Amino acid sequence: MEFNNSIPIYLQIIDSIKQDIVVGKLKTGQKMPSVRELAGTLKVNPNTIQRVYQELDREKITFTKRGMGTYINEEEKTISLLKEEISKKIILDFVEGMNKLGFSNKEMINTLKEYL
Amino acid sequence: MEQILKATQLSKYFYQKKALDKVDINIEKGKIYGILGPNGGGKSTFLKIAAGLLKPSQGEITIDNEKPGVYTKSIVSYLPEINYLYKWMKIKDAVNFFKDLYADFDAEKARESLKFMELEEEEKVTTLSKGMMGRLKLTLALSREAKLYLLDEPLNGIDPISREKIITSILDSYSEKASILICSHLIYYIEKLLDYVFFLSEGRIILSGNAEDLRNKRGMSIDKLFQEVF
Amino acid sequence: MITLLKYEIYRRWIWLVLRYAALIIIGAILLNRISTPALQYKFLGESTGKFIFASLVIFVIIIIEGINMLKEDLFEDCGYLTFTIPKKGRTILASKLVLLFMQLVLWTSITVGFGSIFYSKLPYREMVQIKSQVDFSFLPTVLFILTAFFNLVLMIHFSLTLTKTLLVNKKYSSLLSLGIFFFLAYLIEKVYYGPFLNQIRYISLHYGIEAKINFLSGGYTAVFLNIILAAIFFTATSYLLENKINI
Repeated sequence: MEFNNSIPIYLQIIDSIKQDIVVGKLKTGQKMPSVRELAGTLKVNPNTIQRVYQELDREKITFTKRGMGTYINEEEKTISLLKEEISKKIILDFVEGMNKLGFSNKEMINTLKEYL
Repeated sequence: MEQILKATQLSKYFYQKKALDKVDINIEKGKIYGILGPNGGGKSTFLKIAAGLLKPSQGEITIDNEKPGVYTKSIVSYLPEINYLYKWMKIKDAVNFFKDLYADFDAEKARESLKFMELEEEEKVTTLSKGMMGRLKLTLALSREAKLYLLDEPLNGIDPISREKIITSILDSYSEKASILICSHLIYYIEKLLDYVFFLSEGRIILSGNAEDLRNKRGMSIDKLFQEVF
Repeated sequence: MITLLKYEIYRRWIWLVLRYAALIIIGAILLNRISTPALQYKFLGESTGKFIFASLVIFVIIIIEGINMLKEDLFEDCGYLTFTIPKKGRTILASKLVLLFMQLVLWTSITVGFGSIFYSKLPYREMVQIKSQVDFSFLPTVLFILTAFFNLVLMIHFSLTLTKTLLVNKKYSSLLSLGIFFFLAYLIEKVYYGPFLNQIRYISLHYGIEAKINFLSGGYTAVFLNIILAAIFFTATSYLLENKINI
């Protein structure tokens, strides 16, 4: 995974994991790699991974069983919620970007139709 | 959090030159620190004082609450920038030497690491390339179960393949019980490893903070920040 | 200390074996040359001379090596290794001095051993001549010379260490070390041995004995003085190594 060092690393990892869940690369209920393993794979500080898992736990996307590991939430609605969250962000980015270019809302919809 | 190293108003003078000027640094257990700065800024000097090679001119430094001495040398693993192994040694001699002199040295781990680093035990130390020597020094330093690792420019003059191996080894050595202090002016490759950074220039700490916080606040990589500051 | 000593020996074991084997072989060959009475008279002087020469060469090598054992740790990159291992300064120094001492004893044994065999082959007349001229008792003198040279190395070690404490870079270190060494030698002669030998002279004059008092006249007392001097230098050097040097 390529990182942009200008943005906090842990945020990028969290986004990447969320994407993987939505896309199906990571399955619900699946066990995540240990902190050390993931740190080694991504070549980042283990404390960063620790923070990632803590954040994901907080958002109830994962849950950590002490001594056993971190697992992705089994509930199906996790995926749909994430899908909603991520798609929302993409759309907001799109709207903001098009706004900056001077597109009105109507123009935005028309242009979008052309591409779909 | 427990502190493993505490430097208070630490200063080091060489004749007229102030290599370190009233530096305050605290190192906590289980974290990886970067001391970043231009060459000649005092990074190596700080590490050498912590390692027990230089004596402070003023101020204090304690490691595990002890002044640098025989005890601290037994819990500190120091990786200098220079080639410090005895010229008569073969790689296996170096491993045996470390095993004999350091109680916390894991010879098995060292041998595995040598294989990973693609180093042959029968090689004479004087015939090693810069990259090989860098990998050897790191193997020796990280095969110890020390409480504090001091790595002085571990990536200098290292080819890209060795560099990846070295970064992997550093990560493998991470433990919640130990701390790692890395000095470098090649920030791009190591910044993802760092919990906390100190910017040291002309003997003074110009900036310090948690790496991720700095990225957030400044909106730039540590590397970029370094270039801006210096 | 034993561990460090082990490595001091291990790293140069071939040289160690070579030098003493060479000395013994040379001695044996030279003795062999003068084995028959006929050859004896012809070659004795020459053989003895050659053996003494070989012996002196080995001795110089031992002394120089003894000095370099500490010098390289103080002034070369490997000092970073020596002074970060968890051993006290006195332990590091002791390991080197023990090897030096062992070598001096070995050298002395071989030299005196062969020397006495050469000496025993002298014609009686010459033996007497040498004995009267040389006029010293054997064992104290040998011990004195041994301890004196041991101290020589120790003094140089101290000078080098003191230099390293005062100077950081290598530039003038040789000069300063020499300066310190000669100053110490002068000081010791003035304050330590001078008065001691004068005391002997005074006593011998007092008793109306006309004796040639030179620096070898000290006997066992001088040996004892040397041992004390060694202890002083060892302690001082160890202290500097542990607390004051900057590598």
